[in-house]
Amino acid sequence: MKDLLPNITPQLNDVLQSLHFFVPELYLTVLFIVVLVTDLLFGKRSAKMCRVVATGGVFLVILQVLSQQVALPKEAAQRIFNGMLILHHPAISFKLVIDVLALILLMYFAWDNKLKQHTKGLSDLYSIVMGSLLGLHVMAMAVNLLSIYLGIEFVSIASYLLAAYRTGNAKSTEAGLKYVLFGAAASAVMLYGISLIYSFTGTLDIFAPQMQEGLTHINGVSSTFAVGLVLLGIGFKLSSVPVHFYVPDVYEGAATPVTAYLSTLPKIAGFALLVNFITPLIIFSTDAKWAGINIRLVLSAAGIITMIAGNFAALWQNSVKRMLAYSGIGHTGFALMAVTTFSAAGLSSLAYYLFVYGLANIAAFMMANFFENNEDITNIGDYKGLGFKYPVISVAFVVVMISLTGIPISAGFTGKLLVFSAVYDIYQQTHDVWLLALMITGAITTVVGLFYYIKIPLNLFLKRVEIAQNDILKSTNLVVFSSAIALLLIIFGILPHLLTKVL
Amino acid sequence: MNLLSLLIFTPMLFGIIILILPSSMRASFRYLTLAATLVQLVISVIIYFNFKTGTTFAGINHEDQFQFIQKLPWIDLNLGSLGKLQIEYFVGIDGISVTILVMSALVMVVAAISSWEITSNLKGFFALFLLLDMAVMGVFCALDFFLFYTFYELMLLPLYFLIGMWGGVRREYAAIKFFLYTLFGSVFMLLVMVGLYMSVTDPATGNHTFNIIQMMNPNNYVQGSVFSTLNNATILGLPARMVGFVVLFIAFAIKVPVVPLHTWLPDAHVEPPTPVSIILAGVLLKIGGYGIIRICMGIFPDAAVSSAFWLGLLGVISILYGAFNALAQRDLKRLIAYSSVSHMGFVLLGIASGTAEGVSGAMMQMISHGFLSSMLFFLVGVVYGRVHDRDIYNFRGLASLMPRYTVYVMVAFFASLGLPGFSAFVAEAFSLAGAFKSSSVNGLLPQWMAVCGAVGILLGAAYLLWTLQRMFFGTLSLKGGEIWKTALTDINFRETAALLPLALLALALGIMPSLVFGKINDAVLAFVSFLQLK
Repeated sequence: MKDLLPNITPQLNDVLQSLHFFVPELYLTVLFIVVLVTDLLFGKRSAKMCRVVATGGVFLVILQVLSQQVALPKEAAQRIFNGMLILHHPAISFKLVIDVLALILLMYFAWDNKLKQHTKGLSDLYSIVMGSLLGLHVMAMAVNLLSIYLGIEFVSIASYLLAAYRTGNAKSTEAGLKYVLFGAAASAVMLYGISLIYSFTGTLDIFAPQMQEGLTHINGVSSTFAVGLVLLGIGFKLSSVPVHFYVPDVYEGAATPVTAYLSTLPKIAGFALLVNFITPLIIFSTDAKWAGINIRLVLSAAGIITMIAGNFAALWQNSVKRMLAYSGIGHTGFALMAVTTFSAAGLSSLAYYLFVYGLANIAAFMMANFFENNEDITNIGDYKGLGFKYPVISVAFVVVMISLTGIPISAGFTGKLLVFSAVYDIYQQTHDVWLLALMITGAITTVVGLFYYIKIPLNLFLKRVEIAQNDILKSTNLVVFSSAIALLLIIFGILPHLLTKVL
Repeated sequence: MNLLSLLIFTPMLFGIIILILPSSMRASFRYLTLAATLVQLVISVIIYFNFKTGTTFAGINHEDQFQFIQKLPWIDLNLGSLGKLQIEYFVGIDGISVTILVMSALVMVVAAISSWEITSNLKGFFALFLLLDMAVMGVFCALDFFLFYTFYELMLLPLYFLIGMWGGVRREYAAIKFFLYTLFGSVFMLLVMVGLYMSVTDPATGNHTFNIIQMMNPNNYVQGSVFSTLNNATILGLPARMVGFVVLFIAFAIKVPVVPLHTWLPDAHVEPPTPVSIILAGVLLKIGGYGIIRICMGIFPDAAVSSAFWLGLLGVISILYGAFNALAQRDLKRLIAYSSVSHMGFVLLGIASGTAEGVSGAMMQMISHGFLSSMLFFLVGVVYGRVHDRDIYNFRGLASLMPRYTVYVMVAFFASLGLPGFSAFVAEAFSLAGAFKSSSVNGLLPQWMAVCGAVGILLGAAYLLWTLQRMFFGTLSLKGGEIWKTALTDINFRETAALLPLALLALALGIMPSLVFGKINDAVLAFVSFLQLK
């Protein structure tokens, strides 16, 4: 005990210094508590209050993240809290993307009729989202196996609660239970991987020299197995094949705004985490003696299979939410393509792609929600002819679908172009056949994607049926908001530098 | 203000006005659209008359020889290690584009006139029409690959809705088939475009560039890049430049369309309403031919020359296959759609010959077919609009009932089958002359291809004359009896206004082909010598 005493002062100093780089997360922590207390103080009527506090707070957090971005030198990477977390520009970009999307989602939650009518009210939801946001931030910065696990669990537990939020509804409960079961299995697998890595190397810091030492000298199969298990755990958050089984059921069962949350934020943070986790592995594998995992091969294979599985499965879906769930899996595969480049350009294209995907996906769920609120329909087939009844939102829906497909002039296309460029650049240098296969799969699945995305415009505008007019238009805020996002997608499509400057 | 930009964005301006105006003013939409297309026509005619000719204005691979250039920085993304993503708004024309622009502008006017038949959802129709118009003009003017691709893809969505919302019974099928086909071609084009971008640098700035003209210069390719001419890189074991050429060719061959990639065309041309059929046949098919000349062969001339035989063969197959199919059709609109496949085959044959005659013939054929196919589709629309039927066997002896209409039909048919004195004769004669000459000049095409092409003209005469005989001659006999007889009135002033200019131009180009040849000659010669350098 006495031997450890001298360590206390430097440790404390490190913590105190680290706090300086942890301001947005501190804000989030305080915000979490404030929202929770607001809920307790104002009881049943607190939902509106919580919403205002939460959105206002997240706005402040965004400002803090932006100031971090300005303050941190370009190539700097700051390790904080004894090397548990890292703060560098990619992490800040991802946090920014997450926070902006979270802000949109926070406004959106209250506009779902089914969620709003829930007896519990929405106050708890806001505090859960605040908590998860903190976890997402940790995920984006984690570079220690312990903090990686902590971040993932943080987000997972919040997500389970959100998925099962509408407790009265059997489907929502089923979604929550499925999510918990699959999630628990995934974390167990990941923990097993972490413990194996720890036993091989004696360290949890993924950048530590012992880590390289240990993983290089261990039998290749064993280290591949251990790393593979951790990747599976991360893949669960990305909804990548082969751990994507839960996605359609959970997305369909959860309330629509929650699905919008699940399909974007944890996924984006998962990508940030994946990038953090594989960075040391890439450095290690440049060593000639490295016999372990070929990370590019694994990610490429996963990317190809995920793109194919997601896009082809989406073809057969009738429910809008299930279709978007599968298409989200396809997008994960495409984004994995950007990860395989291991280059700065690949990273920035990844952040751009994910942000645009997130925007479009949230807008798509908003619009699906609009039709759910107004017409009580969830199947694509029931959208028949509604384009003439609700012209504005239907046109916006078409724009969003175009962006998700990746056709000019939309931000989705620019994202695709950036990813292709980054991959092509690396292909030109290495002539790696896997990268070529990725690009070809990406191109083919784009055409496949069109096939199911176009079903929505097809039903909205091309099918002719007699429509009964109803005068009361509900959820106008959804119309305004999702149309604004659609407009934004076109603007970012024409002028992408507006966005890349910030990211 | 740059005339080309004005030409491109005039429809967008009118489109926005239409979107803003309340639906209660829907009667004015068609006039606004007509006004937009007329303004475009005036601009394009001004461009045509101010277009300078001479070897110093040949264009093709010399940026300084293009005219009406406007070049503005557009997207400037800093991509770290990839350098800067340099995308420019870069428009300009040379001899290859100028005549197509005038033709497109006129076809758009005709399409606007024929839009009178549209009665439902006017705001949507005309907004999409004008968006399509803008994209089409943009494609022919763009000299930056990214800009070209943007306009190229921008055409898809309006067309999807135009076919799908205002089309016939099988409109959904036709619309999605068209969309998927084109997108399939263009996503792979996107990959080649990115590859070219990574391979080419602008010598002035050192950045990678999308500039099409810079891509034509072998010296601009980065050492060791995939598409470098010196590098002989391979993609999946095949020569990279050949792969790039084939991928781009497939994308444009779908548009032309070249057999066997033509199966979308009969559906996509038959189902939509007349104005959309006119635009599809009159303008959009030319984007395929234009793309092959400007982009496919311009950027990969070496691969183009070495695969000229196959291009010629595909051209001949399209001519014959299209003609045989046309012979077998009962539906008049379908017959014309297949005749388009046949006629566009001459474009490919002419281009593949690599001779000045052949390429001029191909250009002429594109212009001529633009006018004639618009006329033919308009004529079908006249009958279909009156009785909602277009089965050849349901009509007989129309000549006695609609004499003026029959005159225009005869003009269009005789012009299409290549009667001397009309534009198609000049075009097809030059294409075939080029194909004949090729074996002695550059040895790209064997002579039997020209012979087969000539047989295609014969077949064309067969199906057109046969149709004329079946539908218009003989005693009057209609499937719909008296009701049809009263419905089938002769053409009115509006229809004459659309048909007369087309008929006159088909005649004028046949008598004075110099109207086109005079403008394109320098560019064609430059293009041919550019190919021979390889």
